[in-house]
Amino acid sequence: MDIILNTGSTVYQGAIIKGGNKFSPGYTREAGYCNISPEDYEALGRPWFVRVTNEYGDSVVVRAKKTNTQQKGEVFIPRGIWANTVVTPETESTGSPRYKNLPVKIEKCDGPVLEPEQLMRANYLKGKVDTGKKYLDRTTGQAGH
Amino acid sequence: MISNVVKTDLVKKEGEVICCTDVTCPVCGMSCDDVEIELTPTSVTTKNACLMGDAKFQELRSPHRLIYPTLNGERVSWQEALEAAADILVKAKRPFFFIGSETANEAMAVGIEMAEYLGGLVDGNATICHGPTVMAVQDVGQVGCTLGETRNREDLAIYWGCNPADSHPRHMSRHSMYMRGFFVEQGYQGRKMIVVDPRRSPTAAQADLHVQLKPGRDFELLDAVMVALRGLELNPDTEKVTGVSEETIKKMAEMIKACKFGAIWVGLGIASTHGKHHNASMAMRLTQLSNDYTKFVILANRGHCNVAGFNQVLSWTCGFPFAVDYSRGIPRYQPGEYSCVDALRRGEVDAMLVMCADLGGHLPKKAVEHMMNIPVISLEIAPGPQAFVSDVILPGVLDGMECEGTFYRMDNVPIRARSFCKPPFDFTESNEHTLKQLLKIIKEKKPKE
Repeated sequence: MDIILNTGSTVYQGAIIKGGNKFSPGYTREAGYCNISPEDYEALGRPWFVRVTNEYGDSVVVRAKKTNTQQKGEVFIPRGIWANTVVTPETESTGSPRYKNLPVKIEKCDGPVLEPEQLMRANYLKGKVDTGKKYLDRTTGQAGH
Repeated sequence: MISNVVKTDLVKKEGEVICCTDVTCPVCGMSCDDVEIELTPTSVTTKNACLMGDAKFQELRSPHRLIYPTLNGERVSWQEALEAAADILVKAKRPFFFIGSETANEAMAVGIEMAEYLGGLVDGNATICHGPTVMAVQDVGQVGCTLGETRNREDLAIYWGCNPADSHPRHMSRHSMYMRGFFVEQGYQGRKMIVVDPRRSPTAAQADLHVQLKPGRDFELLDAVMVALRGLELNPDTEKVTGVSEETIKKMAEMIKACKFGAIWVGLGIASTHGKHHNASMAMRLTQLSNDYTKFVILANRGHCNVAGFNQVLSWTCGFPFAVDYSRGIPRYQPGEYSCVDALRRGEVDAMLVMCADLGGHLPKKAVEHMMNIPVISLEIAPGPQAFVSDVILPGVLDGMECEGTFYRMDNVPIRARSFCKPPFDFTESNEHTLKQLLKIIKEKKPKE
């Protein structure tokens, strides 16, 4: 289904990222979902999960949430690595990517929603055997105090 | 003069417990300066901070804080990390310096100096935030005011494409809707609120009038409101194009004319959607027109703390607010060419210094893909997407908590943020100090010809 994607902040997603918990399950809970209007939710076949795909063919799986806050034909994903997987880098010569009003395709799927670290690996380490980079996850985070 | 009113006994130490009042919050653009902190060796208790602010203050005692430098994921000494970072930047042909927010102007100034010294590109968080709004300020000009004025005078708030209930949780209670002001003694009962947003956000749910337009039709709707303000006939297709009825547009115009002091708060809803700076220009023109009938101002709801500061520091350094290229020895300004997302997407950057920003998480995938192909140096405080894409990680210092600094609030008023504790390491005192050490090594490795 063709649909318009808007992304933006929510206070709970904000609390997760400001608290430095970007590699925690809380981030998936607060940023890995998609608000869908009741009409579109029915048209999609009452999904648990949806796959959102942009014009480049990049796609991301997020939880589907039926909500009255959306108009028909629009969906909302909170700001974060899930939304930014499909946000396109066209800036209309302003430097600011298309975080809002982005035409995408949305379809019902079986999931699962990738955890932040899995998503980063799937997006950026795919097909690269040795990038020379290592990553820090939460478990290897440097215990400060 | 200021020294007469500045309190000096703000930080009190009782044993291991540190109590501090009037702390400046380094999270969102409002830079709330009334936060109170009680810091013990194991816990942080905050008063007056919002959910996001409290989360940030908890970083002082978080278990995941990055406290030692790393090179390719391995622990190294501070000097080794700085040497590696300097090597990367000195060897690069087109280095990119990304100056994030939530850090002080003093650190930003050193980052910009480094970009100028090495002839690199420099950009900041403004580019992915209110960059288009800043372009509109250059285009049209902004009728602005301080947050104190809106707090005491504003009786009509128009939240256009923003949702302060989520993005600036204390905005409505401190500076606009719910505050009792000098000229608005009734508080919220004396103020009206219009929210223009395609979705029914938590802010829209509190509005006197929620204008639910079609996404990307801000320019057309702003134009239609200007037509209605002038008392002219609206185009018959207006409702079809904008999704807003003629009746609602006329009601908006009437509310604008009826108020004594109105403010348009613009958010990323106009800057990140189709039309970009043209939308913001139109909003500024609407503000100018509204001043024919009443007093009206426009302010940008800047998302990050001190993101306005980057525009200020770069402007006083070279005359341009963001997206500057120093490669020819002189500053050149061109959003869309020297801006971060565009330069990364074209793949022309061959090394990157990212201070205090999570580009790994907040840039579009196509831009981050290029960051994975080049060496990246980060000043970072917690593990996450930015640490994931970084080769060299230099532990960051929390400005406004562990070191002093100046933040520009979203109304471009500078606020001096005090410190009340020290960083959990001794190799640096502040992000400014880190960058100065790095710049010194760079100058040794690559002396000016």
